Amino acid sequence: MDKVTLTIDDKTVVADQGATILQAALQNNIYIPHLCHHPELKPSGVCRLCMVEVAGEVVLSCRTPVAEGTTVKTRTPEIDQARRMNIEVAVANHHLVCKGCPGNTKCALQKLMAYIRLDRKRVRRLRTPGEELPIDTSNPCFNFDPNKCVLCGICVQTCADIQHGLNIVGRGPKTKVAFHGDSARCEPCGLLCVVRCPVGALYPKEKAAIQESA
Amino acid sequence: MGEESGGEALSGILMFYEGKRSELIPILQETQGIFGYLPAEPIGVIAEFLKISKGEVYSVASFYNQFRLIPLGRNMVTLCRGTACHIVGAPQILEEISKAINLKEGETSEDLEYTLETVACIGCCALAPCVKINHKIYGHLTPAKTKELFHARN
Repeated sequence: MDKVTLTIDDKTVVADQGATILQAALQNNIYIPHLCHHPELKPSGVCRLCMVEVAGEVVLSCRTPVAEGTTVKTRTPEIDQARRMNIEVAVANHHLVCKGCPGNTKCALQKLMAYIRLDRKRVRRLRTPGEELPIDTSNPCFNFDPNKCVLCGICVQTCADIQHGLNIVGRGPKTKVAFHGDSARCEPCGLLCVVRCPVGALYPKEKAAIQESA
Repeated sequence: MGEESGGEALSGILMFYEGKRSELIPILQETQGIFGYLPAEPIGVIAEFLKISKGEVYSVASFYNQFRLIPLGRNMVTLCRGTACHIVGAPQILEEISKAINLKEGETSEDLEYTLETVACIGCCALAPCVKINHKIYGHLTPAKTKELFHARN
């Protein structure tokens, strides 16, 4: 496979032809913020967090293939501002307490918050008013907490290759991940959706029991 | 409408389509034209016809306001929540209507008698606040008049 050499944040990186900038960066231990990326799925580009600047243009690193000799900057004042806004809104409408969450210490949002040093108090004001939605326990294998879901679409894409059970339904603030008919019925599979969820929205039922006793 | 005639009518629609993904929305529109909403069975038939999952059909149908996944009531109550109506008290009228027919915005009553919805403007700003029930517009409402209006209907 042909190799391509490029510069990401002053670091020289060698990547396979056809790889995306995000893949090249992550393989070389350069962290570019991301939420909807998964190495085994085609990039969807919905979270908009992986923005980088290439040749004066701001692009999504998950959907831009590497090009020989280019210089990529992962932080610029423009990108930082846009990215901060995205992260703040994602966190603002998320469940506020990390302790007791099934995704605690593995959560992608925690990594994002550390990356930009989020001010939690400031972000609280961005929260959309409304009651917390009930946790969906209708599936025999896992629970789904819609209050933690960040709508990254990883579970939807994952399930599309298995049984097409999960879908994004609704619009605007009422957008949510749901099964057809709104109840979590599916053929038991390897729970790949649960494994891949970047936050604590999908978690296996045993974990729920552990959390409750904590 | 009987099960069989509905199924036949649906086949009648699908006859004119090739089975491409891009045909989903027009098919849904025509299907809603027959049944008044999108019941579960036609959704299954359409999904099979287009070779996509029922979930994907549901995903598209739930995005658009036009597509209704539950049947409409016999009486359509449309409250205006446009600027003019809002300023003169549309929220209070909504509360009063909700109490009178025991429905929240967007809901249909179990006996399929009423559907309550709100819209951005029905163009009767001089009559604000107003509500449209089926084809008739009732303007210059107050909570008391609203209560009376629904009391008289029941």
